Amino acid sequence: MSGKIYVAHDALSGLLDDLSKKFRVWIPQMMDQASGHIAFGVYAPGKKPELTRRSRLSPKKILFPSTDTLFKFTHVKDPKDPVRYTIDLKESFDNGPTLVFGARPCDTRGFQTFDQVFLKGQYKDVYYERRRQNTLFATLVCQDSDTACFCSSVGSGPADMTGSDMAVIPIEGGYVIEGLTDAGRKLVEASGSAPSPEQAAEAEQIKQKTAAMKVGEDDLTGYADDLTRRFTDMDFWREQVSPCITCGICTWVCPTCYCFSITDEASGMSGERMRSWDSCMFYLYTLEARGHNPRPTKMERYRNRVGHKFSYFPKKYDGMVSCCGCGRCIRTCPVSIDIRKVVKELKETADDRA
Amino acid sequence: MDDKTNALREHVKGIFSNLELVLGWEPGYDPLHTRPFYVRTESDIDRLTANCLSVHNLTRYLAKSMNAVDPAADGRKIGVCVKGCDSRSLVALIQEKFVSRDRVYVIGLPCRGTLDARRIRALVPDPARIRSVNAEGDELVVETDQGISRFALDRAIARKCLQCRYPNPVIHDVLIGDPVTPRLKIDAENPSVAAVEALSLEDRLLFWENQLDRCIRCFACRNACPLCVCQNHCIMETRMPKWLTQYRNMNEKFMFHMIHALHLAGRCTECGECERVCPVGIPVALIKEKINAIIYEMLDYESGIDPEAVPPLLTFSPKETGI
Repeated sequence: MSGKIYVAHDALSGLLDDLSKKFRVWIPQMMDQASGHIAFGVYAPGKKPELTRRSRLSPKKILFPSTDTLFKFTHVKDPKDPVRYTIDLKESFDNGPTLVFGARPCDTRGFQTFDQVFLKGQYKDVYYERRRQNTLFATLVCQDSDTACFCSSVGSGPADMTGSDMAVIPIEGGYVIEGLTDAGRKLVEASGSAPSPEQAAEAEQIKQKTAAMKVGEDDLTGYADDLTRRFTDMDFWREQVSPCITCGICTWVCPTCYCFSITDEASGMSGERMRSWDSCMFYLYTLEARGHNPRPTKMERYRNRVGHKFSYFPKKYDGMVSCCGCGRCIRTCPVSIDIRKVVKELKETADDRA
Repeated sequence: MDDKTNALREHVKGIFSNLELVLGWEPGYDPLHTRPFYVRTESDIDRLTANCLSVHNLTRYLAKSMNAVDPAADGRKIGVCVKGCDSRSLVALIQEKFVSRDRVYVIGLPCRGTLDARRIRALVPDPARIRSVNAEGDELVVETDQGISRFALDRAIARKCLQCRYPNPVIHDVLIGDPVTPRLKIDAENPSVAAVEALSLEDRLLFWENQLDRCIRCFACRNACPLCVCQNHCIMETRMPKWLTQYRNMNEKFMFHMIHALHLAGRCTECGECERVCPVGIPVALIKEKINAIIYEMLDYESGIDPEAVPPLLTFSPKETGI
């Protein structure tokens, strides 16, 4: 077989119904009609994937939940000597077979950043690793970028299938789904029938046309040293960050922001050790126990956010920018701070920028 | 707000030498957005913009900005552009002594309503490619790659603006443009609150559970609020004492939103910033509007009108009536 299937629009629910018997299937779906809020949710029969408009929240939480129980603990008292107790620990994993259907290339590519940090270093994050191994991505070839999109500026593009197991290509009347990895091909071939030669050709043409599209005007890679030079230029940071209200939206919606906090949430004798998302835009993020805060204002905090993605990360990981260009931070920022503009202006003079 | 860009720039040029800086708006990253802008030098003035996309309440920066006050400014005032709703926040900040009236030069901008980018995107067939939006009379003209569409302005303006009772700044040192007629009378019932109240108790609970369930605890509603002034001491973040857990469950979300609203009882001026900035579209301002309605009914008080008045929950009177 060709490793490709054709699914007509009206057959998509049937396909998802079948897949959801084997996988926990996540799809972008309309969460609130009134505000047009689209986010990833678990598929259940009757739910409709929203594939024509971008989701406001990324699929990050599927592999990296906003709150994740690391283990459960119970203090067990010694009945003979109640002052003494032992601690009973229980593993906590939640990682059945999972399929993410209909994420955009930027969404899927966001996990490349996670992979570097959570899988490829000296220590592996076992919670992330188990989910990662059990998750397949069927990624939509993306044809409708908007004014905040800039995937091509960070070394990607609207047909970039890095990290995807299947490509979902919209054609007239439906979709061609193409297996890209062994697991993806196996699943695709078991899930439907091959496209007609015309459909396959149309899909190929759309794929190529989309791959040739340039989303985002400037190349935003290669700014690592410019940030270093700008580091102490507080006038620059004041100018860029004055409107910032130091909420955490940009970090919450970001597919590559991976910072977390660990807390024990206990009540009585038992509780859970929990990992939850943290945001470098918050004052408490760097507040030290003694009371000192090395990033006391929004200028230092925002500088860190830009520096992490466009300078420190690429310096550490072979030039890879830890930004996937999805534009969510721009779209959802209450004061429309544009990270593209900030990065571009890191270069100090017009000559630098040329 | 009708486009007042030119008149605003002209005015600011005339007075800028007497000011430390001016808080205004500049064009944003696309035709649907402006962004807050600190005019620090003469040459910045030509970036100033004031139109129906000047959505942000800039008084927020007066109490919470690290950068607004420059000790080298010789007591020169800070200019701040305010719409009707924003001016009420300024009054509340003056009442609570976060801002000194002598310190600010208030540039008032009468406003017929600000646009809600989400509502506009829902209206047009090609929301990803909007080239321009303009309010012309009672119409909104949207140009996209597919052509020009016209809509009734009311379909595109923010919820708070549809029920606006104070379109004209209640305090100002200068008014740019003519005063406009309020949409609602001052003592009119709040139609959004009435719509939720009309639901049965069970449906109301369901409504709020559905809404608050989406909360991602990004705290933008808190940070955008000009009157949420606890800053880094908010109960949501302090670990000692630990009021809330890290769980993203309904209890915690509900607790946060109720605390937020109760801290604003009799203080919230209904500028709607909390609701505008919510990335998941929760109508968070509705809770505060309901509490304001109670305050108005029981204590005959409306926030952010009289700089000399003391908000009822910031004082105690043994002779208090109405409760």
